[in-house]
Amino acid sequence: MPAERAGYTVTMFLVDISPSMGKTRPVSVAGPDGKNAQTIEMTNLEWSLQYAMLKIQEMIFNGRKTDKCGVILFGSKETNNIINEENGGYENVSEYIPVAHPNAATLAKLQALEPSTVAGDPIDALIVAIETQDRFLGNKKTWTRKICILTDGENLMEVEDWEATVAKMNALGIQLTVVGVDFDDKSRQYEDKSDIKRVNEAFYQGLEAKLEHGAVGNCDHVLSEIALPDVREVKSTMTGNVLRIGDTEGRPNEAVEIMIKTSKATALARPKGFKKFARRKRTAEEEVEAAERMDEDEAEDIMTFAQLHMRSEYYLEDDKADASAPRSANGGADDDAEAQAERDKRLVKVEKEELVRGYKYGASFVPAPDGEFPKLPVRKGMDLCGFFPNKYFRRELAMGEVYYVWADPASPMQQVALSSIVQAMENEHVLAIARWIKTDKGEPRMGVLAPYAFEEIDCLLWVQMPFADDVRNFTFASLQTLINKKGEVVKEHPYLPTDKQLDAMADFVDAMDLMDAGEKDEEGYRKQWFDTRDSYNPAIHRTKQALFHAAIVQDINTHPLPPPHEELTKYFDPPRRVLKRARSAIQECKRSFNVRKVPKKVARVRKDEHVRAHDEDDETILLDRQGPGRAGPSQSPTQSRVLAQSQSHSQRQTSPMHTQKKPSGNDSDSSHTEPEDEEEDEEEELLLDAKHRPEPTAPLPTPARSLSPDPRIGRNREPGRIIGFTYPLADFRKNIAQGDVITKAVEDLGYVIKEVTIRPFSSRRHGEMVKCMHELRKVSLEEDEIDAWNDFIRELKDTCLKSKPGNKEFWDDVRSFGRPLSLISQPEARKAGGKSTISESEAQKFIQD
Amino acid sequence: MAPYDDWNKIEDDEDEELQDYSLYEGKRDVILFCIDCSPSMLEMREDERYEDVQTCNLMVALEAAMQIQKRKVLVGPNDAVGIMLFNTTKRNTSGQAGADIKKGSYVHQPIATIDAPKVMDLVQLLDEARENPEMLREMFPPMTDKRVPIGDVFTSCNWVMRDGAPKTATKRIFLITDEDDPHPGSSRNRMMTSARTTLVDLVQAGVTVEPFFIGTDEKPFDATQFYSGVLLPTNITDLDEFTDDGPAPILPESISITRVDELLSQMRFHEVPKRALFSVPFTLAPGFVIGVKGYGLITEQKKGAYKYFADLGDRMEPVTSRTAYVDEERDAEADKAEILYGMDLGAPMADGEDTEDVKESEAGTRQVRLGSRVFYTADEVRSFRTLGLEPGIKLLGFKDRSELSFEDNVKHSVFVYPDEMTYSGSKRTFAALLRTMIDKRKIAIVLALTRRNASPVFCAVLPQAEKVDESGWREPPGFHLIPLPFADDIRAAPLLKAFRASNELKKAAQQWITKLKVKNGSYPPDSYPNPALAFHNAQLEASAFREDFDEEGFEDLTVPKHDMMHKRAGKLIQEWKNALLEDETANIIAAPTAGRKRKADTQDVVVDEAEIRRLNDAEQLRKLRVEDLKNFLKSKSEPVSGKKDELIERVAAWLDAHPQL
Repeated sequence: MPAERAGYTVTMFLVDISPSMGKTRPVSVAGPDGKNAQTIEMTNLEWSLQYAMLKIQEMIFNGRKTDKCGVILFGSKETNNIINEENGGYENVSEYIPVAHPNAATLAKLQALEPSTVAGDPIDALIVAIETQDRFLGNKKTWTRKICILTDGENLMEVEDWEATVAKMNALGIQLTVVGVDFDDKSRQYEDKSDIKRVNEAFYQGLEAKLEHGAVGNCDHVLSEIALPDVREVKSTMTGNVLRIGDTEGRPNEAVEIMIKTSKATALARPKGFKKFARRKRTAEEEVEAAERMDEDEAEDIMTFAQLHMRSEYYLEDDKADASAPRSANGGADDDAEAQAERDKRLVKVEKEELVRGYKYGASFVPAPDGEFPKLPVRKGMDLCGFFPNKYFRRELAMGEVYYVWADPASPMQQVALSSIVQAMENEHVLAIARWIKTDKGEPRMGVLAPYAFEEIDCLLWVQMPFADDVRNFTFASLQTLINKKGEVVKEHPYLPTDKQLDAMADFVDAMDLMDAGEKDEEGYRKQWFDTRDSYNPAIHRTKQALFHAAIVQDINTHPLPPPHEELTKYFDPPRRVLKRARSAIQECKRSFNVRKVPKKVARVRKDEHVRAHDEDDETILLDRQGPGRAGPSQSPTQSRVLAQSQSHSQRQTSPMHTQKKPSGNDSDSSHTEPEDEEEDEEEELLLDAKHRPEPTAPLPTPARSLSPDPRIGRNREPGRIIGFTYPLADFRKNIAQGDVITKAVEDLGYVIKEVTIRPFSSRRHGEMVKCMHELRKVSLEEDEIDAWNDFIRELKDTCLKSKPGNKEFWDDVRSFGRPLSLISQPEARKAGGKSTISESEAQKFIQD
Repeated sequence: MAPYDDWNKIEDDEDEELQDYSLYEGKRDVILFCIDCSPSMLEMREDERYEDVQTCNLMVALEAAMQIQKRKVLVGPNDAVGIMLFNTTKRNTSGQAGADIKKGSYVHQPIATIDAPKVMDLVQLLDEARENPEMLREMFPPMTDKRVPIGDVFTSCNWVMRDGAPKTATKRIFLITDEDDPHPGSSRNRMMTSARTTLVDLVQAGVTVEPFFIGTDEKPFDATQFYSGVLLPTNITDLDEFTDDGPAPILPESISITRVDELLSQMRFHEVPKRALFSVPFTLAPGFVIGVKGYGLITEQKKGAYKYFADLGDRMEPVTSRTAYVDEERDAEADKAEILYGMDLGAPMADGEDTEDVKESEAGTRQVRLGSRVFYTADEVRSFRTLGLEPGIKLLGFKDRSELSFEDNVKHSVFVYPDEMTYSGSKRTFAALLRTMIDKRKIAIVLALTRRNASPVFCAVLPQAEKVDESGWREPPGFHLIPLPFADDIRAAPLLKAFRASNELKKAAQQWITKLKVKNGSYPPDSYPNPALAFHNAQLEASAFREDFDEEGFEDLTVPKHDMMHKRAGKLIQEWKNALLEDETANIIAAPTAGRKRKADTQDVVVDEAEIRRLNDAEQLRKLRVEDLKNFLKSKSEPVSGKKDELIERVAAWLDAHPQL
């Protein structure tokens, strides 16, 4: 097939609307959830029109004004075509949509088509179409002509003289496509069909054979073909530039200029955007009109959606404008304060034309004369800066799209010159560093040139590399050398893989190799799996599919979007062969590495990646798991302890072979029998605990520990509470740091304080409780939990002084701190940005009596 | 034509995949320089850089702070900084910021967005200090009898941060001191505990401390004396750990112990806060998942954002812009919540055709039956892009390292490092995978969806071994995620055939190429600061400081080192060039124009360069046809726009610039 010029095409769609097209058929479509297929009924007309609509949609999508189409009906009651007008005949053929670039209205008109009551002859329509197309094109000989017939072939055709028609079509280079409903093709034979249809199909086959560009297809088949992702080929434009070697100005004898053309070798394609729509509200007038219509003939209610366009508006805060604007003669001071305040809130719209361009320099503003600063005075060209061995190329630094660099295709001299450099670079195994400036005064970019030899042409490939400004040197902890705070290198640590784990990983990597996981080539060798040239961008094609679908169906609810074409998702999972081969290696890795998901916490308030204080276990989730009466989960496990724990814990359950933590070396484990190992692991765990928990009262981390409850280490928390009795202040601080359960934490700490104070022997904890209260009050003030504090302190006072056991002693302690532990007053609250109903004097009085 | 209109133009489709960094550049960064002001910091010595100038550690620290401010203001114009000194008797007067902080500390610059006057103040202060070595000591009298407890310093920092830093910002304290044992003797342990407690408070408030310790040969800085017992590993936030006396398992990642002259370069490493672009699960196989975070180590640094200002006569005020979506026909703005998504309706029909059916007002609209739906919601649109995948990286398998070709590139890579906080065991698994892939010289192929509103992309995963170079800079261990092009992104070569060089010519080229080869070199990003960006920023800075921009003083470091090139290979290039000029193939006149039929017609009569030169010398270029002039210019990759006079001028200019040899 000769290369086609995109656009410059007129396609005539000939649509059969004979009564037979009204026959309905079950069509399987995606269910409302987009997955489960369901069957709906549609007429053959509706069904085959999908093909035309998808084709037309493609034209709208590509937006080429030179992509035009027209629609001619056959089987229509009326007759309306140019040949009939001039010469008569050609009945029941009518020009439905004149040749033009299609738009949404074209699709709407197609959608409105219904089967008629008379039959039409496709050959008549074909002749009309050829004529209409030819007249439209006039002397535009280079345009591509296409004709597409949608029919079920159930009606009589007058087939005499068809050879003349074929000759004409071949002369004009017309490409004919016949889309037949239930036509036979290689994969399908339809048994129960009428004789007429059989004859007609045979005729179309004959027609196809005689035509230079003809095709007959089964509707079902072409509809599935059209859903295949197709790559929109873009030929990159070639841009002229010059490759300079050496100082071409100062030392031209020793310097060279080679005329080059550059074009893109890769270009990031993006999904086509959706347009925005909104339902148009009816004007009062239309409302009345619609109401009348409703009364008259119960017409369907129609919603109108308008396509939206973007508009940018610029605003200046009004008070700023006011501050400097000269006061009007009769004095703005006359305005009353209220109006002034009102206006301050308003933003003043300013016109873009009145604005000045400039830059921010921190909080300072720097207007730029003429909208920008002068540009770096540089000449366009690609300057060679040097060469380096290709093995030292850092592939990860490549920053963008890749360009071809060709020698001027019109000059053998330039071609030979570039070719000699390409070949020499290849021989030397080097890459070049080159600075590229696309236009005079353009921005220089640094990049690397690689030699590339095609079958019959040599070229260079250029890719942009980072400037010093573009590289960020973040620091990351070593993954192999861990140093403890004493400055010693740690040899064994949960962060470090053991030899056994490394072996498991090696097996895994071998098993998951893709080099021989693809299909077999001609010689029976397996090829690689995954090829960029076969990997379609799923977002682009899925988006396009969705766009097309919505454009051609009348209702997405009843005609949901079918699932993505399997070509799009074929690389979404490792090949089954490979997974099968790797099954045991995967099992071993899972066992050996024992990775555990750290329970996720509920949405955090602060989304600050940098502050990792939040990256901790979610207390509430842990709580849910915990049975009543069990030792509470730890508050703040160190990461390593979580590791050690979860590791050793599950070792006991799942992996007796795993001996990572063994203090006595790694290689003795294979001889152990299971029970022994289990014991060992227990021991080991204890060792571990000892090692990692130098302080006996330090809490233990995972809920798994509840198997061996240790009263010392429990947080002693009541179910549903996030603050325990044991370390209330630490619990509280940690929850506040996480920032997502402040209200709960405040409430619970208050609860704990009240509980503790009325317990027997609480006196030894009075100091601690007072500390808690200071913290609680501080947080309450800062985090706008003022009411919670005020309620708490009142209740505490009541509990201490009025309730049965009470604790007057404690309240006296509290009172001795005076005002700083009293109610939060309004002035205090305001300072912190909150509100309180307590007056200052009330707060003073509260704590005194 | 407006220069940055590209920039200002908001993409028609705001749902377009977010640019990788917009999200994260939007976040403000706050740095509080917390500088020790003790006598040792103020001790004057000869400045190695200048003659007859004295300097001291405090000066160097302040200068570094000033330089960082200057850099930050260009990178993140919204970022804020402050400077606090400790171990000084100077106090903030009441009413001033910092008046209530602990004794012994002084807020020199409260935290605020960087602006030109503030930077200029610092510059001035440093200039005066150079003139008058006693000046700093007078201005910030050091505490001589004792030192402020480090705990108090942290508390003061906390207060200063609280007063000045916005809640959502990343907050960091750059602690600069040369004293490794601030509280010797019996009080040390007590001081350590209190410092640790206050540091915990800081961390809880979302502030990190990045220490810069200055050591000298005579007095090396020993972090284990005091600070290693205080500082928290940044990636372990467990607080209990620091309340027990045992050693935390691992030292924090970022303790910089440095010589004073390297202070600035050390700070540069920390200039941009380390923020992850994404944190996602990395599925190695079904049921075998670890946690990873992605970091942008390579990001194109662009010119600062262009802003619009209203000229109010006496000053400039920035304006805010707002984007509205409007039904133009009705001039009605749409409620954002009610916007639906669908296909472009195409251009309205040409006039005169079909107007009876389509009412004027209905152009650009779609009629829908009540109860039917032909548009998508924003969520659906997003799901088309993600194909319903959840953010994550999924391993597909491994390939040989050599399979990752040069041309399979479309955008910059992202660095991936294990995240122990989401999956315990991630680090050891990651480390094992990394080591295995390096040993076996493998890359991995993965499917990656890094954010919820991105689209899935296939990536090559390139392992990087950790290496420490002489300067102590550690090449971090991890994977580079290199996005691979899709079939949709790959463009075929537009040319298929050309003349090729002979073996002799290739050899001649090889001669000079070898001479210009750096044996153990690679592409050195650090050697090439972006000249266009620097040129722009220098002007911006000069303008902000109301200075004249010194264009003469501007140096473009990306210009090829011509002197060196010619010295090494000049003669060889000349030899190659001579061989080229005599080469048979190169001198074929009629160039075959493969696959370019249309061009061939117009290029039937080629006026050769010699002829054009002759005409130019005789000032008779006018005799040539426009066509010939254009062909000549085109062959020289010069623009072919303009009238004949301009073309003649351009041809003459080119010939003048390229005298015949």
